[in-house]
Amino acid sequence: MPAKTATRSHLQQPRLLALAILFLFFLTAALSLADGTRLHSEQLQPDWQFFIPFFVWLGGILVLNKAVRRKLPNRDPWIFPTFAALIGWGLLTVWRLSPSLGQKQLGWYLLGCVIFWLGLNINRLSYLLKRYKYVWLLIGLSLIGLTFLVGVNPTGAGPQLWLSAFGFYFQPSEPLKLLIIIYLAAFFADQIKPNITLLASIFPTLIVTAIAGFLLIVQRDLGTASLFVCLYILMLTVTTQKRRFLWLIPAAAIVAGGIGYFVFDVVRARIDIWLNPWAQASGSAYQLVQAQIALAAGGLAGTGPGLGSPLFIPVAVSDFIFPAVAEETGLLGSSALMLLMMILVVRGISIAQATKTTFGRYLAFGISAYFGLQTFFIVAGNLGLLPLTGVTLPFFSYGGSSLVTNLIAVMLLLKISSEQAAEPLPEPARRPYRWIAAIFLGLFILVLAASSWLAIFRQEELLAKPENPRWAVYDRYSPRGKILSQSGEELAVTTGEIGNYKREVLVPSLSNTIGYTSGLYGQDGLELSQYQWLRGYSGRSYDTLWKPQLLYNQPPPGVDIKLTINTALQSTADTLLGDAKGAVVLMNATTGEIYALASHPYYDANTLTENWEQLRQDPDAPMVNRTTQAAYPLGTLVNSLGLATYYNHPQSAEGVLPVAASGQDMYCQAASEAYGEELNGYQGGCEQAALALVQNLDPVIFVDQLDAFGLFTAPTFSLRTIAPATKPDPAVLETKPLSALQIQATPLQMALVAASITNDGLLPSPRLRNTYLSEDGKWTSFREGVLPVRVIESEASARLRASLAGNNETFWFQSGHALTRDGKILTWYIGGTTENWVATPLAIAVAIESNAPDLAQTIGSSLLSLYADE
Amino acid sequence: MSATVGLILRILFLAFLYAFLGLAIWMLWRSVGSKQASQGNIAIPSLTLSTAIGAESKTQTFASNEVLIGRSQECDFVLEDPTVSSRHARLFYHLNQWWFEDLKSTNGSYLDGIRVEEPIVVKDNDEFYCGDAIFTISIKPVE
Repeated sequence: MPAKTATRSHLQQPRLLALAILFLFFLTAALSLADGTRLHSEQLQPDWQFFIPFFVWLGGILVLNKAVRRKLPNRDPWIFPTFAALIGWGLLTVWRLSPSLGQKQLGWYLLGCVIFWLGLNINRLSYLLKRYKYVWLLIGLSLIGLTFLVGVNPTGAGPQLWLSAFGFYFQPSEPLKLLIIIYLAAFFADQIKPNITLLASIFPTLIVTAIAGFLLIVQRDLGTASLFVCLYILMLTVTTQKRRFLWLIPAAAIVAGGIGYFVFDVVRARIDIWLNPWAQASGSAYQLVQAQIALAAGGLAGTGPGLGSPLFIPVAVSDFIFPAVAEETGLLGSSALMLLMMILVVRGISIAQATKTTFGRYLAFGISAYFGLQTFFIVAGNLGLLPLTGVTLPFFSYGGSSLVTNLIAVMLLLKISSEQAAEPLPEPARRPYRWIAAIFLGLFILVLAASSWLAIFRQEELLAKPENPRWAVYDRYSPRGKILSQSGEELAVTTGEIGNYKREVLVPSLSNTIGYTSGLYGQDGLELSQYQWLRGYSGRSYDTLWKPQLLYNQPPPGVDIKLTINTALQSTADTLLGDAKGAVVLMNATTGEIYALASHPYYDANTLTENWEQLRQDPDAPMVNRTTQAAYPLGTLVNSLGLATYYNHPQSAEGVLPVAASGQDMYCQAASEAYGEELNGYQGGCEQAALALVQNLDPVIFVDQLDAFGLFTAPTFSLRTIAPATKPDPAVLETKPLSALQIQATPLQMALVAASITNDGLLPSPRLRNTYLSEDGKWTSFREGVLPVRVIESEASARLRASLAGNNETFWFQSGHALTRDGKILTWYIGGTTENWVATPLAIAVAIESNAPDLAQTIGSSLLSLYADE
Repeated sequence: MSATVGLILRILFLAFLYAFLGLAIWMLWRSVGSKQASQGNIAIPSLTLSTAIGAESKTQTFASNEVLIGRSQECDFVLEDPTVSSRHARLFYHLNQWWFEDLKSTNGSYLDGIRVEEPIVVKDNDEFYCGDAIFTISIKPVE
């Protein structure tokens, strides 16, 4: 009966191998078209280099398959095709990530094939391995010892775990894993149940494992050391048939982790990263965070071979090859990879139970456990389930010593599988194998669950993280939407050819508003806040979105958006402000539409790369948008705010409003001169007037009115905004009335205050986006949906405008000045239109970082009257 | 063009990858099924145990490949006697023979007057002691 089933399964083996060849052929072909696909090429121009690893792999596998069929007719039918599929997939993945390392890996593969073939032809291999177990062990340990003397690291830095010869690097800890398994299997197989204690019977193995572990710990190869400990415990469980040994694994992990945390910096860093990777997402946890994002980028079906960006994970080719596979083949691909490994492990454990000799049994078990543990260690590390250990993913990770060791291990497994016992093992002896197979199954299910968690359930969240740099790739292959002014002049456009698209800002003075998008420095301004639109994710139907996503792994061309910016007013503001440092905000007082937004000095987003360092260090901070982020003290602007409080809450002041004469101090005197007429003390921003006003007001009502004007909340806007001041304690104002002049606000906040004074006491919400080009070719409004808020009564606002209009019929304004913390004078101007104005109601705020009331007056009145001409 | 062909190749890649897995897992399923069937078909000579302790005597025949003797109710052959441990000894069929193994019992097991330390082959008409209980084995060969 058993013979019959064996032959039936053996008949399927060529079919399995054929399927492996086919799926890898399709993978190769898909990879070869990836470059053309990225560039939306119309012709089929395969990149033939990907067929090199495929055919080299195929050649090796066919030769080995022939040798295996001849030499081992009774072998296990699953092991060889599964191994072939894994190693072929691995070779192609390494080649895809780095063709130069792929070539080296192919060399190692061929060397491994030769050793595999030789091993098949040594008939007494098992006997030799068992007989000279101490010789093999000694060789392995001495090679490790040698790394102490002449060890190197191929990258030049880090632990020196490699031996080098003729430009090739060899890591002795890889073959040592297999040599230790051989030694342990041989030792345990020689044990005849004697009347000695358990400890005595395992003592030599304990010493050997401890020595190997110690050598590795001293060499800082802690991943391999912990792998050894787990492997040893599993072999102990199987040979002694005592399940309680398994508890040693979690116990050892806790003890070793605890001690390691305080002794080794590496361990502490790894555990800290494991516990909270996002805390150091751009530092030491960069790899791990990028790995999780790569999984999310892969999603269910993957980006397509060659179409993802797995190289964002540093050293994806060795430690992080699993996320690289997951990104391009998705959860479907990574689960298939895990299933292939699982078949290998489960078959290995069944081979162990069915084989003739005790040595073969323990060796087959050891090899299977080695594959299973190593896979779990690295994959769970990649997914954040375990602290990261630098062990390799069998058959996949780049690394010659590991690849050759894996090939030898598979060869041994195949040889053992062909020596089946006539009788199955008695039940009690089979039990530990079943426990361990069940544990491995559980671990693999855990890995699948964690992969799905990252790739499906947390996909959107992870992809939206600022740490995800894939947008920089999309920018090169799919144009962003244009940014246009209100009347349709281009402000920012995409230029260049597919694969090399660049962003150009056509009005450099708007760089602080438009922002930048750079693979090196990230995104800022509207390029950041309007990413979803400019990149084409918003404002598009699902039909437009899925096709380029599926075919090219690229978003569709972006959506064009029109701003509320009026280029004529903007350029006037820029010209008038000139070399002065400061900000101008001009807006529609009713709708909140921003017509001009000037922040000087500014930078040019087109020359960001050349000037980055200089710009960052410039004391004038040209990269700070002063309109939304500058913290300017109010100074005598409290006049308008105080008057607003007084008119809105007549009960807030005692008695009548103090009369404020003009020209009480040099600053309001200068203001009067700049305006060419006598301004009263409030309008001119006299300090005496401000003081008298603040002292006369109830501080509680005053602070509440400032709060209503929105001075203590950052405005909701398309650009990053701040609220420089927090709500002050009225008691402090009571005792120190002058501290009201030190409350800070941004020009945008003051423009909004001006807008509410103009707009009959209704505070609008600021808007910078006007319309977007929808799919049917129509310009469609952004639905902002924020209604104006009443902050002062209509009547109060009318009285306020009248007091601040002076003799002027159509405009109201206030000039002000403040003393900044570093002792400099800041000039303010806020203003707006009155009810006699027949066109669009306007509001303006000007702030200049010097004593310049005449410049402020020119900018304010020019912009207000220029709009009338428009 | 490149993209469409690439998409078809991607689908074929996943399809054949899962075809591989499907076939491999189907083969595993079949082999597990047939192994259980074949194990069930191994002909085991039936084993009869007779015991006498004091006035009590008991005879039982088994068709399984493992027989557990002891005081505990979970045993296949339950014997209420203070000299018998709760799981005292075990008989199992291995390599075409019945074996006897003492399960580290308190009072030990004796075959032909020698204490059983390791599993030992038993034959028809053998007698052994578990504590104070004498057992007689009778093995009926397969026809």
